[in-house]
Amino acid sequence: MSTTNPPKPLFREDGKRLSGREDTDLREIKMQVGIFKKAQGSAMAEWGKNKVVAGVYGPKEVFPKFLADPYKGIIAARYIMAPFSGAEEHGRAGPNRRSLEISKVVRHVFENNVLLQEFPKTGIDIQMEVIQSDGGTRVTAIAAASLALIDAGIPVYDIVTPISVGKVGGKMVVDLDKDEDNFGEGDLPMAFSLRTGELLLWQMDGLISRDELEDGLNKGFEAAQKVRVVQEAALKEKYGDFNGSDTGQN
Amino acid sequence: MIVLPGQKVADAAQPGQGVFIEDNKTYASTLAILRDGRVIPQKGQYKPLVEDFVVGLVKDVQFNGYHVDVNAPFESFISNRESLEEFKAGEVVSAKVVEVNELHEATLSQPRKFPPGTVIEISFVKVPRVIGRNGSMLDMIKTATGTEIFVGKNGRIFLTGGNIKLAIKAIGKIDAEAHTQGLTDAVKEFLEKNKENDA
Repeated sequence: MSTTNPPKPLFREDGKRLSGREDTDLREIKMQVGIFKKAQGSAMAEWGKNKVVAGVYGPKEVFPKFLADPYKGIIAARYIMAPFSGAEEHGRAGPNRRSLEISKVVRHVFENNVLLQEFPKTGIDIQMEVIQSDGGTRVTAIAAASLALIDAGIPVYDIVTPISVGKVGGKMVVDLDKDEDNFGEGDLPMAFSLRTGELLLWQMDGLISRDELEDGLNKGFEAAQKVRVVQEAALKEKYGDFNGSDTGQN
Repeated sequence: MIVLPGQKVADAAQPGQGVFIEDNKTYASTLAILRDGRVIPQKGQYKPLVEDFVVGLVKDVQFNGYHVDVNAPFESFISNRESLEEFKAGEVVSAKVVEVNELHEATLSQPRKFPPGTVIEISFVKVPRVIGRNGSMLDMIKTATGTEIFVGKNGRIFLTGGNIKLAIKAIGKIDAEAHTQGLTDAVKEFLEKNKENDA
């Protein structure tokens, strides 16, 4: 939320947003599964100008060993922004306070999404690298990580579909970009499991009233359906030729 | 038909590979093919099951036995009461899974050292296709190349003798095209075409 630029109007004269979108319009989303040969599972998500690559390894042995849980697997998530990813310089590469927080909330999202009870004493690594950022990188990272998990063959309850909503110029709008995020009144990233309608992530930064919160949740749930379509298409693009296949078992 | 994680595959509870059950209904948990009501996972890691024959790598030698890597995220152990042979770390053995505990840790028996040869690794979900119906695919590769082949259920395959290069290529082809139709004919054609090339 910090910047040195002076605030500017966040809506055009015709009522549209600065990017020319309506309140509930998303940016262009592109996703790709299995982009890295060496990673067990990988995916890339391009969400407007955001660009995040995710890689997944596991389940595998946990180090240090005392972290292992004999009842279920554990998840280690790592969200990192590249030094060259933002408009302002991000300084030294590596984890900082903000990225540690996001790593933690992403871990909680996938702890409720992966069938961890099937993998006692093991760990799953999720790595997300933000290579270009323009507001809403945590939802882009979650979208990529969910696809990478599926690409790695790790059993999950559902595809995780994230979306960000926020209050800009007194209105609740969907999918904030960097300017709207920085100069708006508040933002509300969330992640859904659309099969059950469960909310896996719901954060809030800024000042939003109770009614606006509910409005934002509804708008987010609707917009998430569109994100889900892109995610499913990405998976089917890689594995689509499985249709009508013959798999003789012995 | 391809199913994605979270997609419903049956209205009744049908436990099996690659699925989970919620509210008495069955959902896919991995990318899978749904065929005749059966879910065939297309991704995933090996989990030891009793009666499986596996190809293991001896990781560690202890006074009472050996820790073995069976291509699974869980520990496996061979007691040295099972065999008069002694193994060294780094050796490749075949063994049978006799017991799996609640942590999916396997106890193996009947360890056998392999003769000199090659071990390759494929995705474990594709092992049934390498073997084929009643071993038809495997028999075909064996006769065409003259190679001795041992397929472990964990996705590791041991080969020795004959035209190994061609056998490895044929298995690689199965691994890459496991989901396609008429694979046996395609592999047959491939073997005949390349018989001379790699001899």
